[in-house]
Amino acid sequence: MRLSLDAVEREIDRLWEEEARRTQAPRIELLTLVALVSEPGLLARTTRVVADVVRVHPSRTVVVDWKTGGEAAITADAALHAAGPGGAPCGDAIAVEAVGGAREWLPQNIDRLILSDLPVCLWWVGDLPDFDNLFDRAVLSADLVVVNSGEMDLRDIEKLSTIAGRSRGRYAIADLTWIRLRPLQELVARFFDDQGTHPCLQSVERVTIEFSPRPGETDVASTQAGLLFGWMANALSLKPDDVYWRRGPTWGEATIGNVVARFEHRPRPDVPPGAILRVGIECRGRVSARFEIERQEDPQVFRWSRDVPGAPTPPQTLRVVDPGESTLLIRCLGRPKRDPLLEASLAMTTRIVRPVAPRLSIQPRKG
Amino acid sequence: MTTDNPFRAGLETERTPEPSVFVIFGASGDLAKRKLFPALYNLAVSRLLPPGTSIVGFATSERSDEVFRQMMREAVAKFSRTKPIDEAVWDDFASRLHYLAGKFEDPANFIRLREKLEDLDRTNGTRGNRLYYLAIPPSAFAVVNDNLSGAGLVAPADDRTRSTRIIVEKPFGTDLASGDALNAELHRVFHERQIFRIDHYLGKETVQNIVALRFGNAIFEPIWNRNHVDHMQITVAEDIGVEGRGKFYEEAGAMRDIVQNHLLQLLMVIAMEPPVAFTADEVRDEKVKVLRALKPIRGEAIDRATVRAQYAPGNFAGKPVPGYRQEANVSPTSTVETFVGMRIEIDNWRFAGVPIYVRAGKRLTKRMTEISVHFKHVPHGLLAQGGPVEPDVLAIRIQPDEGIGLRFVAKVPGPSMTLRPVTMDFRYGSTFGGSGPEAYERLILDAMLGDPTLFARSDEVSAAWQFITPILDRWAGSGTRDLPTYPAGTWGPPEAVDLVERDGRAWRRL
Repeated sequence: MRLSLDAVEREIDRLWEEEARRTQAPRIELLTLVALVSEPGLLARTTRVVADVVRVHPSRTVVVDWKTGGEAAITADAALHAAGPGGAPCGDAIAVEAVGGAREWLPQNIDRLILSDLPVCLWWVGDLPDFDNLFDRAVLSADLVVVNSGEMDLRDIEKLSTIAGRSRGRYAIADLTWIRLRPLQELVARFFDDQGTHPCLQSVERVTIEFSPRPGETDVASTQAGLLFGWMANALSLKPDDVYWRRGPTWGEATIGNVVARFEHRPRPDVPPGAILRVGIECRGRVSARFEIERQEDPQVFRWSRDVPGAPTPPQTLRVVDPGESTLLIRCLGRPKRDPLLEASLAMTTRIVRPVAPRLSIQPRKG
Repeated sequence: MTTDNPFRAGLETERTPEPSVFVIFGASGDLAKRKLFPALYNLAVSRLLPPGTSIVGFATSERSDEVFRQMMREAVAKFSRTKPIDEAVWDDFASRLHYLAGKFEDPANFIRLREKLEDLDRTNGTRGNRLYYLAIPPSAFAVVNDNLSGAGLVAPADDRTRSTRIIVEKPFGTDLASGDALNAELHRVFHERQIFRIDHYLGKETVQNIVALRFGNAIFEPIWNRNHVDHMQITVAEDIGVEGRGKFYEEAGAMRDIVQNHLLQLLMVIAMEPPVAFTADEVRDEKVKVLRALKPIRGEAIDRATVRAQYAPGNFAGKPVPGYRQEANVSPTSTVETFVGMRIEIDNWRFAGVPIYVRAGKRLTKRMTEISVHFKHVPHGLLAQGGPVEPDVLAIRIQPDEGIGLRFVAKVPGPSMTLRPVTMDFRYGSTFGGSGPEAYERLILDAMLGDPTLFARSDEVSAAWQFITPILDRWAGSGTRDLPTYPAGTWGPPEAVDLVERDGRAWRRL
């Protein structure tokens, strides 16, 4: 039964009282998670993800979608999340639907559903529009804004960087694709943990990142590959003032100072689009060395190896489980803080890819 | 430990251990199979073992590397917290496992060990870094110490090119004299900075959370003192018996097995002053001050302030269970205590006059480790109706069902001012979900990083024995006299109840 928004809190209270009698469950809620679903096709997926997330982070979830046409109105459903079938409740599940022009009214109506004195996480589900009054107003109530650059084009990295810069500390930006990159960053960092490899940092000549492209990919790199290289470029203190690009149908090469970054398409159906398949670093000159991480036949297994004179190291086989969207969001909410590393990587990636993926002033393509 | 890698800046794992060779003495023993190898394997699963890290098992029985790997695979399959075994990770992990057979008494075996380790240094880039784990009885420490030193396998503590560390398992002696002798034995070869005395309680997330609760929140510290705290209780209860460890338990008893280490560690963390920084020495300095401030219990005071008891036949979970003296490898006339209750006082500014009741035992009603802080009654019975208002209690559950509960009173809805205790519960499981790493994983990783914050320092061990030894001596002198029994499956002897009720208080119902 659809409720009017002013009946939601009463209904939630009633449900908790009922549950308290049934399971004696304490009401624990750590935050409000607002999911703005940009396309109707993403609603079912979003509902599944938030139900998984609240099992780890008991929360109030407000899943918001909208329909065009019809008389302007906002209605809601209210229920409780359960820790499992028949299990104790672990949060409030509110589903809000705006029809027609009522989409414009959403920000203030979402505000009234936010739990007092607890953090608010705003998750924008799907591609992020260049200009959207709803998004711009909704972020003002948020402490953490979560997006997924994996659902965007390379040029949208600049948009994310701008949003991060615009926050001025009011909210933090988190990116699910960036969270997905963490294990790979750990593996890259591991190349240089030994003092003996540090001279190699001065003689990096070539970085190769191979990734599985989306069907019909036209970008030179996936956002994942772009962000990974942006992060590496910061660590290597590269200066992206003059970036020279060369590109072929399935590859692109950027020359930044003495370093060539090569992005290569390598279609592979058993990994998510954009996923990284290989990272290679070659050093020449005073120190000649090679470093490599390569995804194996089992798509969750990577082989890590390095060949550095005087620093013998056997290769390692490591499992890097590709986390689902729920796990990524759970990890995001575990550390709902500003991530200067992400912001710096967004800024660096923006400067590197701008010549081949300029920001458009029109609505980016969906899907 | 590496910190100057530009790729590490801002990552979650900012510190990583140097690759080293991990040598486990007693590699085919129970501890190695149940805890150490599963912990190392899980570190590999979590991608926390640095590349090049190798593991050498050293034990007396002859077996090949292959047989040893198979043995450890079976152990990991049985005892690992992550199941089933990840074949890709296992293959990589197994390739790092090596085995060396030999008697610890024979110096020639340590020359072989050195050759093996040097070989691994050449192929794996471990550069002379060593981490020794003594999963052997303390009686074997001296000979291993001598032979490690004799074979040139111990780098000085100030050697910046390579590190040598040693992890030691409890028991850290059996009394003050033997504890100090053991420390002296270790110090003969290793600097204190190189010694990591493991007490797995300190690796538990919930124990570390006590520090977070006390020093990460502004609301608790102002009331964490004698002005507001009436008393505290610490319970370390096990529902199992000695489970085939009768021989060990006959030499230990509850006081040495639990109180001297785990329970006093909990006491130190709950009562210590805020350290200046969360660094190893600052934290351990504050902890040891608590032990030094414990009011000594001597002479006849021991009979009033302590209770020891032994479990008699009873029942557990609806089934009859034997008494302690009927257990395998236990003397039918044993006087070893399986239960300890104590009333402890801390003679310092913060807690003077605040009793701390502790109890630990086997075959108690349920498995439960909990610390409870009982606050004072309200100063004026404004709302009392037919009796005083129940005081507030902050309960920190270490296991199982880890969490924190605050009991306070609330008005029962209705026309009269009737008050009733209610609780606010925080549970790790339902708040954060999933399980964190096992205590051994955390502690082994810390030892690899050279971070001793969560390990016991020699002066801590010595101060703990200083407090405990006079009690053990008096109990030893009294034989079976004053050794009450309690039926298995109960909360201990009536004397333990008296210990608390004598002061007008009661054990918290768990």
